[in-house]
Amino acid sequence: MRLAPFWLVILVLPPLVALFALPPFGQRMVILAGIYGLMGLGYQLVFGQLGALNLAQGALFGLGAYAAALTAPVIGPFALPVAILAAAIPAALVAGPLLRLQSHYFALATLALASLVNLLAVHAENLTGGANGLAGFATALPRGPVLLAIVWTCLIAGVLVYAWLFEGTLGKKAQLLREAPLLAATLGIDGAAWRFVAFVAGGALAGLAGACSAALSGVVSPEATGFSIMVLCLTLVVLGGARHPMGAVIGAALAVGLPELLRDLQGAWLLAYAVATLAVVLWAPEGLAGLLDRLRGARRAPPVAPGLPESVLPVPGAQHLTIDGVSKRFGGVQALANVSLLVDRGEIVGLIGPNGSGKTTLLNVINGLDRADEGAITLDDRRIEHLPAHAVARAGIGRSFQALVLAGDAKAADLARAVATGAAFLLLDEPAAGIGDAERRALQAFLAKLRESGRGVLIVDHDIELLSRTCDRLVCLDRGRVIASGSPAEVRADPRVRASFLGLDGIAA
Amino acid sequence: MAYALVALGFVLALNAAGAVNFAHGDLIVLGGAVAAFVGLSTALPAVLLLPLVAVSIGVVGIVAARIAILPLATRPPEATFVATIALAAIIEQSLTIAMAGAPRTVPALLGGGSFYVAGFVLGRQPLAIVVLGAVLVAAVWFLLERTQTGRRMRAVAADRYMARAVGIPVGRYVVLSLALSGALAGIAGFLLGHQFLVTPTQGAGHMLKAYIAVALGGWGSVPGALLGALGIGVFETFVAAGFGDVWASAALYIAVLAVLALRPQGLFGEPIGRRA
Repeated sequence: MRLAPFWLVILVLPPLVALFALPPFGQRMVILAGIYGLMGLGYQLVFGQLGALNLAQGALFGLGAYAAALTAPVIGPFALPVAILAAAIPAALVAGPLLRLQSHYFALATLALASLVNLLAVHAENLTGGANGLAGFATALPRGPVLLAIVWTCLIAGVLVYAWLFEGTLGKKAQLLREAPLLAATLGIDGAAWRFVAFVAGGALAGLAGACSAALSGVVSPEATGFSIMVLCLTLVVLGGARHPMGAVIGAALAVGLPELLRDLQGAWLLAYAVATLAVVLWAPEGLAGLLDRLRGARRAPPVAPGLPESVLPVPGAQHLTIDGVSKRFGGVQALANVSLLVDRGEIVGLIGPNGSGKTTLLNVINGLDRADEGAITLDDRRIEHLPAHAVARAGIGRSFQALVLAGDAKAADLARAVATGAAFLLLDEPAAGIGDAERRALQAFLAKLRESGRGVLIVDHDIELLSRTCDRLVCLDRGRVIASGSPAEVRADPRVRASFLGLDGIAA
Repeated sequence: MAYALVALGFVLALNAAGAVNFAHGDLIVLGGAVAAFVGLSTALPAVLLLPLVAVSIGVVGIVAARIAILPLATRPPEATFVATIALAAIIEQSLTIAMAGAPRTVPALLGGGSFYVAGFVLGRQPLAIVVLGAVLVAAVWFLLERTQTGRRMRAVAADRYMARAVGIPVGRYVVLSLALSGALAGIAGFLLGHQFLVTPTQGAGHMLKAYIAVALGGWGSVPGALLGALGIGVFETFVAAGFGDVWASAALYIAVLAVLALRPQGLFGEPIGRRA
């Protein structure tokens, strides 16, 4: 969403008021809020947009602070960009192995990393001054109104860029990556590249925030790398709104303002803050900024559930999809054994076989969710069996999923999504499972449209009648092998198919 | 052995909640603090104090389940992470206020002093920890493996939808698991509280150790968590003896990162694979 004028005013007001109306103490508070806002904004990229619980943001903040403190006496204000690099470069170095980890391991790894940085800050006394920290560098850094201008200019620019970036398709893609990473990959979204950019950019913002906080306070101690900064960062982002462009700013303003309001309660402000965070997680998951949006009536229109597209346009791309001698083992199970088949443009090929015969595995291997042990998959002359799922999707293979994967998502929308990627070839996994007769007829008509538009379709389903009516050819798998292939009538008459797939007849007879 | 109790409680909560309970470390600290406070103010013998602490932290576990875990069951695990981190901060800040920052110590379980067995000096407290730890681990094992209640708890942990489908009141068993987890945390806090001082900010450290133990031992595996905890204890003791405490912690973190870099799925993999 583009930033509403309401929010723009709230964003620009604090620094202006601080510059022209507040005493130095008030200015300090506004600077501090800006610093937390920068750190939180960086955190929103990773935690809010990608849903990854990064527990190293506090450590990156600390790295920035130490880098600024160490370099400022030598290079003066240039310590700020150096601090950004000091956080972004380590983030980039560790990002590769870190970002492969699943949620709880990612949290653990970032926590271990942060603990290491903290240990270093406390015990590498020659470099960091140990528990006493570093001081006496701040005269070389921007201070007072200049610092305020720097912090808030960066923050305002950051918030505007963030709002602009995540307004349209990018926001949708991030949501897809967060909620359905497999699906995202089959739509051609390179999740690894995304996470890398978000993690490093988030780290850079944390480094900048750390450097500015060093300039503001004049001391850097190991606390800057500690878990409490991390908890503050996490809670302020959650409190304000993990994805809302203004979330970090609102959270930061509260984090700085609340202790002043509750000054009489002494240490209790952190308690109040934690209670508020818990309440927000429970009752207002979109955060206070989202809550305010709702109160202002600026609720976005509910998305309209799309049905099957009315028309399907022809698309350019490869002409033949060839699967040649593909094998795949899962432990001791031979899921696919030397499977070969060909799908041309304008052709619908049905894949049948009993449960566990390898149908879905074959689709997974073709579109790169699983990797074949042997064999070649080619689009015209291009080998694609080694490509990751997002690259296969970009090469021109779309995919729909079994209802199981989609958790509440409409099947029609899933099909439409696969078609909308503009793929020349479509892999459809049980599109007819669990739908009614009317929808079944619509699906049949839609498949015909796909054929007319010159797409190649490989379809898995249990509805043999539907497949016989719509498919040009059927291929029957049994325990990972192709046991029959040909026109629907031929395949259905094949005795081996009858024995394996329609085997219940044989037993009953 | 106290680590084993920490990790055991952690993994029970983990399995029941389907997400990491970041407040577990603070439940341990809370156990230590309750023990210290009640111990000092009433001079209750430690043998009575221990169950009291276990019950009271168990109750806190129930509260945690009710407010931070059950309401978020249908949301992604990150929501539970954040809720429990907030809960951890609440406990930590409350303790900071209540204890006014002064570290406390917990009375010993069997009194101080040491005695000789076959020429080795044995402290009473370490011995008490090992014996009590072993008894509790055995009791939990018996509960989980040999009783109907335990079977249901494991069913809820393995697949809460399936468990609900066969008629198990899932919510009740999640709460029960958290109560047990809390009681174990309280006991661990009691035991650790005598060896080390109780300070409000220790929670994150305890939590991290348990987290590491569980990650190394196999996510969600109870014996794996125990092995992981013992492994960490042995590892830390040896490295600390050779190079000092700082290097012990650093080496532990580096080891964890190395393991995760080489085996992103954990040392022994996960029992439940990705659901496509």
